[in-house]
Amino acid sequence: MIESILKVSNLSKSFSGVKALDNVHFELKRGEVHALMGENGAGKSTFMKILIGLLAPDSGEISFEGTDLRNSNVSDTLKRGISMIHQEILIIPELTVAQNIFLGREKELSGRKDWTSGWLNDTAIDKKAAVLLEEMGVNIDRKAKMKHLSVAQMQMVEIAKAISNDAKVIIMDEPTSAISDKEVDTLFKIIKDLRAKGVSIIYISHKMDEIFEISDTITVLRDGQYIATKSAVELDKPSLIAMMVGREIDHMFPESNSAKGDLALSINGLCRKGQFSDINFEVHAGEILGFAGLMGAGRTEIARVIFGLDKLDGGEIRIKNKSVINKTPREAIENGIGYVSEDRKGLGFIPGMSVKDNTTLASMNRHRKGIFIDQTSERISTEQMIDDLRIKTADMDQKVTYLSGGNQQKVVIGKVLLAAPEIIILDEPTRGVDVGAKFEIYKLIRNLADKGIAIIMISSELSEILGMSDRILVLSKGKQTAILSRAEATQELIMKYAVA
Amino acid sequence: MDRSFQLKRFGQYGIFLAFALICLALALSTPRFFTLPNLLIIGTQVSINALLAFGVTFVIITGGIDLSLGSMVAVAGVTAAMFAHPDTYPLLVPLFAGLGAGVFFGAFNGFVITKSKVPPFIVTLGTMTIGRGLALILSKGRPISNLSDSFNFIGGGNVFGVPFPIIILIIAFIICSIILNKTVLGRYMYAVGGNEPAARASGISVTNVKMWVYTLCGLLSAVGGILLTSRITTGQPNAGAGFELDAIAAAIIGGTSTSGGTGTMTGTLIGALLIGVISNSLDLLNVTSYYQQVVMGIIIIGAVVLDSMGKKDR
Amino acid sequence: MTINPMKYILIAALCITMASCNQSQKSENGEKDSGKKLVVGATMLSMQNEFIVNVSDEMEAKAKELGVELITVDAERSALKQVEQVESFIAQGVDAIIMNPCEVEASSPAVKLAMDANIPIINVNSETSAKPTAFVGSDDTESARIAMKYLAEKLGGKGNVLIMHGFMGQAAQIKRDNGAKEILKANPGMKLLAEQTGEWDRAKAMSLMENWIQSYGSKINAVFAHNDEMGMGAVKALEAAGLKDKVIVVSVDAIPDALQSVKIGALNATIFQNAQEQGGKAIETAVKAAKKGAFEKQVLIPFQLVTKKNVEQFLK
Repeated sequence: MIESILKVSNLSKSFSGVKALDNVHFELKRGEVHALMGENGAGKSTFMKILIGLLAPDSGEISFEGTDLRNSNVSDTLKRGISMIHQEILIIPELTVAQNIFLGREKELSGRKDWTSGWLNDTAIDKKAAVLLEEMGVNIDRKAKMKHLSVAQMQMVEIAKAISNDAKVIIMDEPTSAISDKEVDTLFKIIKDLRAKGVSIIYISHKMDEIFEISDTITVLRDGQYIATKSAVELDKPSLIAMMVGREIDHMFPESNSAKGDLALSINGLCRKGQFSDINFEVHAGEILGFAGLMGAGRTEIARVIFGLDKLDGGEIRIKNKSVINKTPREAIENGIGYVSEDRKGLGFIPGMSVKDNTTLASMNRHRKGIFIDQTSERISTEQMIDDLRIKTADMDQKVTYLSGGNQQKVVIGKVLLAAPEIIILDEPTRGVDVGAKFEIYKLIRNLADKGIAIIMISSELSEILGMSDRILVLSKGKQTAILSRAEATQELIMKYAVA
Repeated sequence: MDRSFQLKRFGQYGIFLAFALICLALALSTPRFFTLPNLLIIGTQVSINALLAFGVTFVIITGGIDLSLGSMVAVAGVTAAMFAHPDTYPLLVPLFAGLGAGVFFGAFNGFVITKSKVPPFIVTLGTMTIGRGLALILSKGRPISNLSDSFNFIGGGNVFGVPFPIIILIIAFIICSIILNKTVLGRYMYAVGGNEPAARASGISVTNVKMWVYTLCGLLSAVGGILLTSRITTGQPNAGAGFELDAIAAAIIGGTSTSGGTGTMTGTLIGALLIGVISNSLDLLNVTSYYQQVVMGIIIIGAVVLDSMGKKDR
Repeated sequence: MTINPMKYILIAALCITMASCNQSQKSENGEKDSGKKLVVGATMLSMQNEFIVNVSDEMEAKAKELGVELITVDAERSALKQVEQVESFIAQGVDAIIMNPCEVEASSPAVKLAMDANIPIINVNSETSAKPTAFVGSDDTESARIAMKYLAEKLGGKGNVLIMHGFMGQAAQIKRDNGAKEILKANPGMKLLAEQTGEWDRAKAMSLMENWIQSYGSKINAVFAHNDEMGMGAVKALEAAGLKDKVIVVSVDAIPDALQSVKIGALNATIFQNAQEQGGKAIETAVKAAKKGAFEKQVLIPFQLVTKKNVEQFLK
């Protein structure tokens, strides 16, 4: 029997009367990868925040290597060996990799004990960083400035930082949400190495395939309640999903039954310097065209040009056989294009504004009387979107920041829909969205197609692309390598073209 | 968590509470404070700063800043004064000249900011100096006096016992509140300040919104400049120096966040009143202006601390 | 005060380039002009101040009359800038310098620099703690004495007085305060109700007066403002409150606005400080000193009390 390093029992926490965690149990063994699963709002973040000392629990016990952790703060837990790799990576962009790894511990590394310990010793910091990165087997220049690294590389630096802190437990929150497949392989190798060295990992992700590949044990939370802890080999995908959503989801992807309508959008020879070139495709009303490809293949970049966010360097965009030039998103919207960005926080919604204000933002022309806002029609439209899209919100005056990821996404989709587009580009529509909401979003997308809207769906999840698209356009390094029909497309075929 | 929730509530209403408490304390410490004539005087004294603060509230909500307010006051004031000598032009001429100067100046700010992508702080720092120079050039460095009685009524007259500046203040407050809360433009201001790329991606012309905002700010500064000129019955080229700081302070005390996206006209009005009440009452209590400055600084910091506490949530 | 060393280097570099430019210019001029035309550099407190502009205008006129080349620069109320400007005058090799000092202490180094470089330096209008070649101006203490004596006379030595100060800490404010307090001491019947700064500004003075009226109402008998701008503000506030007839207001400088006001009987009196004579005498003294002729070390131009009786002679 392997000893357990962290034991949590009967943990509860509520916020202004609402129970975020209710009698949660959790046991982490030394040297295991333990996946923590649950939909958004299931209580995972709260649980993590309590573990690292950011929040204090209302009741319950946390014992880490025999010591009580209930009243410790972040720096206590860090010293004891619990590190967290955050979803939003916390780095200082202007400092080097080595300086970031040892940030806050410069004095220990200065080699001095007296008052001169404030004197920086960058050589020592550098040497230690080199040894550390070497041991991890990652190829990152320790002298590079953080701002020049890719997201995946930054993550490696975060992990290096955790290891340098002699972390016994490393918590990883959605570590693969923004990195490429190849980088995921590297990450998993490092995780396996860490496991072999006796480090325990708490792994949070929405991606099922990953969970089954990497984890030994799976604990599921739902609505703040502890559901079960099982060994990964005991479980399969459907049973895990059932545990998470509390019901069986038989058909993840809705049936395609929409008839292909008139030509909606045709793209001829589109190019933008340094990003993509010679892109040609057509989308018809009622059709879902999937965009597949690796990170950086140019999928988002094409969408941005079509939507007028970036300038095009060549080629033609035709809507309903009429040539258009979209210099700004405003013109694109007027020409009937809607865009749901992959960057929800950056381009999707205005965090400080209410659900209503966000939902109607792109269609103010329909909700105004002269220079004034038509409050009544605004409320009616928002009400309808909340109903249609099943947005879970206290009321329409709630700020969007306080909604879950899936509901935020629905607000953004609602906003795009209210502008009455004929063509919608959905860029990673289910990123950071939990399983239950994912299913709803799929149904929604299919409904839109059924209503005669032409849809371009960009996704990194192959199962999603395969399940949803009528046709699939594959991109590789800024070039269009194939357009596959639903019938002929397979995971292997798409990957073949994606790396071509 | 519960504690920060309370603080957040306090951050929202704290300014009203603080204002009420300060007024109460003043009313208790000097019987002369809470009298109708004194309240009218406070209203008059506050009017110019409040007008500028309304203008800069628009700007700050969109995530910008305008440091050229004080210079716009001088340019508009001097321009109006040039046409306001008795028996020369009808009253509308100096008014439109002054307002026009402010609108032009504000639009110029907006134009440079949207075209150059240089931060507003730097652009308006530049136009602040340009404006001061223009005011000196227009007036040849000397105050322009001998203004018509009708022009002097604007800042010095009464209607049914209410000083005219207060009437202008109330009208401006109502119009600015309507713009911010009831018009599409107002909604777009919050959107641009809350998340500029997302606003653009929602089909909002960020350029238009910014042009509007800086032009409005110029217009309101011009109203302030005309009021000031009329009140002191001269067009002074060095008038309004440092006014921008008081106006920005009023907006910030009133809960407008310098990071953009939040703020209300009511808050700004209270902020301006708070500043006015404090300087009025410290005069009544014969406290030297040195202490007034210290008190004002403490209030500004206090307001911002409250504001950031309000945001610390989740 | 901390000054970053880069600034010094920059100033030095600027001075050197300016000096070399000017030398070449001079030699050209010298050939044409037999090198006799005197050059005088003048640095003025602030060209945004009407009184200073008047002094400067008169200097310009006098310089033309005497055939002297006058270079006028604006120190924009910064003593540091003023010192830098004098440094560059020295580097240019001017024959004499006229300085209208920004501050008593902080502008003093400029005087020392000029004296060390053997260039005569004349202070005009206000003083520095370092002794210049000559001083042309009026004694600010005296102006306040005249004003307060006028008030004492009008009130019959008894009454409540308010004093509006200029910017605290400036030479003019300190001296005018000293003069005023001297007279107050000599007249125990006169009571100082309150004193406060109006920062030389008309709008600020108006607000201050309004607030005082709220505080003291009909108790106020007289107001002494350190300058006319503030005096005018006080008059405006008193008029609005319907108290002007009961309160005597006197201020210093005799700017055109104030003279007009005296003429119509709003402002009771102002103290005339003769800008023309200050400017003219400054140039005359500078020229004499540059030619190493005899000159007076201290030229004091007397103040004059302006009331409704004699206002006509000051109005042009």
